[in-house]
Amino acid sequence: MLVNTSGVGSSIHRMEDDRFLRGRGQYVSDIASRGMWNAAFLRSPIAHARIKSIEVPTEGRKQIFTAANLQGLKPIRGISSLPGFQASDLPVLATRKVRYVGECVAVAIAPTRAEAEDLLDGVVVEYEELEAVVEALEAREPRAPLVHDEWSNNIVHHMTSNFGDIEAVAKTAQHKVTREFRTSRQAIMPMEGRAAHACYDSRQDELVVHISSQMPHLIGIGLAQILGLDQRHLRVVSPDVGGGFGLKIFLEPETVVVAWLAMRVGRPIRWIEDNHEHLTADANCREHRYRVTAYTDDRGKILGLDAEIVVDGGAYSMWPWTSSCEAAQAAGILTGPYDIKHLRAEALTVATNKPPLCVYRGVARPGVCFATELLIDAIARTVEREPYAVRIDNMVVAAQMPYTTITNKIYDSGDYPRSVRDAAELIGLKEIRERQKLQRSKNRLIGVGFASFTEQTAHGTSVAMKMGVELVPGFEPARVRMTPDGQLVIEVAIHSHGQGLQTTLAQIASEVLGIDPRLVTVRYGDTAVSPFGTGTYASRSIVMAGGAVSRACKNLGERIKEIGAHLLQSDISSVKIENGGVSSDVARVEFAAIARAWYLHPEELPRDVNESGLTVVQGYRPEPDGGAFSYATHAAVVAVDTDTGQVELLDYAVVEDCGQMVNPMIVNGQVIGGTVQGIGTALYEEIAYDERGQSLSGSLAQYIIPGATEVPDIKLGHIVTPSPWTEFGIKGMGEGGAIAPPAAIANAVNDALRELGVEICETPISPRRLMAAIARASSRRAPA
Amino acid sequence: MKPREFDYQRPATIEHAIELLAEHGGEARVIAGGQSLGPMLNLRLASPEILVDISKLSELTQVQVRGDRFFVGAAVRHADIEDGVVREATPGFLDRVAGGIAYRAVRNRGTIGGSLAHADPAGDWLPVLIALDAVGVARGSKGVREIPIAGLVEGVMTTCLAFDEILTGVLIPRLPSTARWGHCKFCRKPGEFADAIATVVMDRERNRCRVVLAQPVRPPLRLDQTAQIVATLGGLTDGSQAAVRDAVASDLGTWGISADADPYLFRLAAVAVARAVQQAFDR
Amino acid sequence: MTNVKMLLNGRQVSATVSARTSLADFVRDHEGLTGTHVTCEQGICGACTLMIDGRPSRSCITFAVTCWESDVRTIEAFEEDEIMELLRRCFREAHALQCGYCTPGMLMTARDIVTRLPNASRERIRLELSGNLCRCTGYLGIINAIEMALARRRGGLGMPQT
Repeated sequence: MLVNTSGVGSSIHRMEDDRFLRGRGQYVSDIASRGMWNAAFLRSPIAHARIKSIEVPTEGRKQIFTAANLQGLKPIRGISSLPGFQASDLPVLATRKVRYVGECVAVAIAPTRAEAEDLLDGVVVEYEELEAVVEALEAREPRAPLVHDEWSNNIVHHMTSNFGDIEAVAKTAQHKVTREFRTSRQAIMPMEGRAAHACYDSRQDELVVHISSQMPHLIGIGLAQILGLDQRHLRVVSPDVGGGFGLKIFLEPETVVVAWLAMRVGRPIRWIEDNHEHLTADANCREHRYRVTAYTDDRGKILGLDAEIVVDGGAYSMWPWTSSCEAAQAAGILTGPYDIKHLRAEALTVATNKPPLCVYRGVARPGVCFATELLIDAIARTVEREPYAVRIDNMVVAAQMPYTTITNKIYDSGDYPRSVRDAAELIGLKEIRERQKLQRSKNRLIGVGFASFTEQTAHGTSVAMKMGVELVPGFEPARVRMTPDGQLVIEVAIHSHGQGLQTTLAQIASEVLGIDPRLVTVRYGDTAVSPFGTGTYASRSIVMAGGAVSRACKNLGERIKEIGAHLLQSDISSVKIENGGVSSDVARVEFAAIARAWYLHPEELPRDVNESGLTVVQGYRPEPDGGAFSYATHAAVVAVDTDTGQVELLDYAVVEDCGQMVNPMIVNGQVIGGTVQGIGTALYEEIAYDERGQSLSGSLAQYIIPGATEVPDIKLGHIVTPSPWTEFGIKGMGEGGAIAPPAAIANAVNDALRELGVEICETPISPRRLMAAIARASSRRAPA
Repeated sequence: MKPREFDYQRPATIEHAIELLAEHGGEARVIAGGQSLGPMLNLRLASPEILVDISKLSELTQVQVRGDRFFVGAAVRHADIEDGVVREATPGFLDRVAGGIAYRAVRNRGTIGGSLAHADPAGDWLPVLIALDAVGVARGSKGVREIPIAGLVEGVMTTCLAFDEILTGVLIPRLPSTARWGHCKFCRKPGEFADAIATVVMDRERNRCRVVLAQPVRPPLRLDQTAQIVATLGGLTDGSQAAVRDAVASDLGTWGISADADPYLFRLAAVAVARAVQQAFDR
Repeated sequence: MTNVKMLLNGRQVSATVSARTSLADFVRDHEGLTGTHVTCEQGICGACTLMIDGRPSRSCITFAVTCWESDVRTIEAFEEDEIMELLRRCFREAHALQCGYCTPGMLMTARDIVTRLPNASRERIRLELSGNLCRCTGYLGIINAIEMALARRRGGLGMPQT
């Protein structure tokens, strides 16, 4: 049992808060280096075109650069080893063609950003506009315009999965329920956009690149390769980062250009992405198309699923994850929390003339959850049962754990049906059904909807190696060092940009060593300081880095006890670590005294003391490493205004299980934050395009992000079933909140509009879409 | 993005401001709160040669009673109206409208004159001031003139102000406390640009009823057929609701607007007006 | 180039800058006060909010030259401010921040709510916060923090513990 009041399980305040509350955080744009200039990029205004000429004014030649100047700089090439994958070269500045609005064509540098933009005013680019292909379902067709001339089609990757015998199931099933779904393109929009600052350090003979990134080490690998640098001549630092959510796990052209410029012109160069750039060139995620069929018995038990998934991959594959990373996962997660024995899935990534795919919190899961959870509700309507009951009947149950899905995922632990029952209780399902019976209003209709999911977190080598990505995570490292005054410094490879890892990792150290977490410094984000690791993504950090810190602290604890026992003239078996020191039955020595002995008075140490002393470097990987599965059920109550199409969220509940929580306050913050992003996906956020690939959502006036008024008081419930395979039984959970809201809210809207025969199958559920759906349903009902 | 370069002057008098505008022949822009101009400059959607800052001119920041009208200086901030600086003119009405504009931080700088001169079709002041029969006061090289707000706007983001004219303020007729008003605004979330704003003012004392509709795609419209119907109503029943909605459709038709161009906005207009009328009766 | 003159965090500042320099860029790049952050540059997201003459204002769409003799205060000016200290403690207690980027602007608005609307309801707090976007917290922690601060002030209670 964990009893430490500041260790694992306690909701202590965050260490990181102080600097942020005083405006003393240090983000990339806060760095001002001597002689620093600013970069601005000229971006293609056309979605698909040949570049006929680029004319740079003579007076700007020293400050304006195009592809012609970048000799020796390789293009960015995201590669997957999955069979049939088509790779694309993304030149960091466009060469012969541009393939999406926002693609970088030229760069200018000047003392200020404004002056750099002035210089770009004088650059004349002659484009020959080509036909753009904007919709993935059109781009996949054989005769669609080609995004890449050297390909024979626009299919980046095509994967077929077949488990069991779907044909046999199709013949005998009582019901066949088929639906099509669409999720719109979004921009991730962390409050801090992308940013890079590069400058050469002559003392260390290294290029130092500060970048707002979730994975400085991986970025360093990609950057060094493209720039032709040895790894030891590159240092990448990711300082405070104003939100990532997946945006900041790719190597992007602007970073490469900034780094190259710093070396070329011999002064520090920085680029700060502005919001207009972000909403144009970084409008790059979540756009999926689904066609799913469920074969069920007469009670709605799913016998098999047959699905086609199309992911809009945009114009290029980014490094390292490629545009195929979502479709490649989709089939494997389609069965979700359900016990389904037959599955056939076609998953395609299709190239279009839009910005290159980026992954956003949840990656493929929010889209897949949207499709399967709406399908469950459609099944429930078909068999005339409560959707939440159909859900429960289909679920894997606790007694089956650990459970291996037909797609070979091992669900470690959990009670999925309980999450549904608890969510129904929390949202007050019975009361809502009563309320619905009594409602009189014709134009304000109440509805309730559920959505459940499992989330694979902290997957390790055995899973990642099958994804075809160039870089596979291995042992996650932690370096833990006791300082000469008996405190701790921990260096890890993950990055913290809101998740509170500066605090939770200190809590783990506190749990193991009994040290006050406020005496623990956690360092991350600097390739010169942090051991190598793949970074923060896929909800891996607390399990991986937490596991490494835990193991490292345990090892350090042994060394501390060894020295402590010697100082106490006791046997090591009769001393223990507690309350910041080592105690025997009769005496005690503080950590500070032990550290002093190691660092300043080695003559006091035991003769056979461990030579590596009070620094431990430890790698960690859970075993088995197939992932720790968190799960949750969300429930939403909505009021739909059938006059205006507006959807009001009346109530929202989440019941989640992420095993042992390290800091429940931080877990709640992640769930709520993710849920609100999901509400954005469900109701508000959409980058709309015209047929020429022009974005119609260039500022926050058009791209609506939820604010405080769009968020009800979210009720939270927790179930705790520890993982059998991780340190402390912890599981990752950072992305979960964002996975279910689109499904839960759409199910609630469809529940509200059930009598009208409306079934929304698309996100966001904007007023226009809703009114159009109501009109269509009403004309279907009208007598001919 | 950052703005293109511009010069900046802060004249000490209105006369000097007008001279500067005349001198630059249309390449000068007036700046008061900058909350509409700033975003445009930042996206390089406007690139004036010079900004003429009138925000601190005392004549433009005053609120004065002039007979049965209230003069509100063009540089009076939305936040001050929200906080009641001209509450007497239209008990509660203007305060409420002001409080719904954008966000407090924007209201702290943005001005009523700036908003009117910007003529954004989704703006709040235009439909409200048209419904109140308010009159703008403009001063330019050729002197002073009064412009009914209904005639101020010529198109989306364009007014009838000459390049050397400054809107110095608005004259708002006092609204008796017996008057009823409704103001219904549909937007995706508070502070964002509206898809429809309907303003209704029923002033039985002066036998006047105004219904004004603002939508993003065109300048505000007076819906006079609708106003005639509303003026005869004592309340809003299901039957009269339908009559109001039909009248809105008819008014829009008279303005040459059909449902085909944008059925959603067309329908929303009728709903906004009906709800504004309901609000007015509920008051 | 145009003259700028203001009281910045209690200090008289005079400078000559390009007229197009936003107040945000002026305080950050010219004066090294990087606590004020820039996101949308359209006045919508609120990250850049600071105080001009005691009122929260958008520094991204305000030009430094228009702040002649104004009293401008950034987050750095509120180190010793008692109300801001109360808010800092409430924010920490209520987990009202994650990545920290929106936080300085959020605190400016929070301070305005707490001083201008001492009886604000939870619904009113939400409305007043609509001009400050946050992508991390989902707002509930922030609303709770402001409610906590209002309650403490109304009840004459002291500071929450650090």
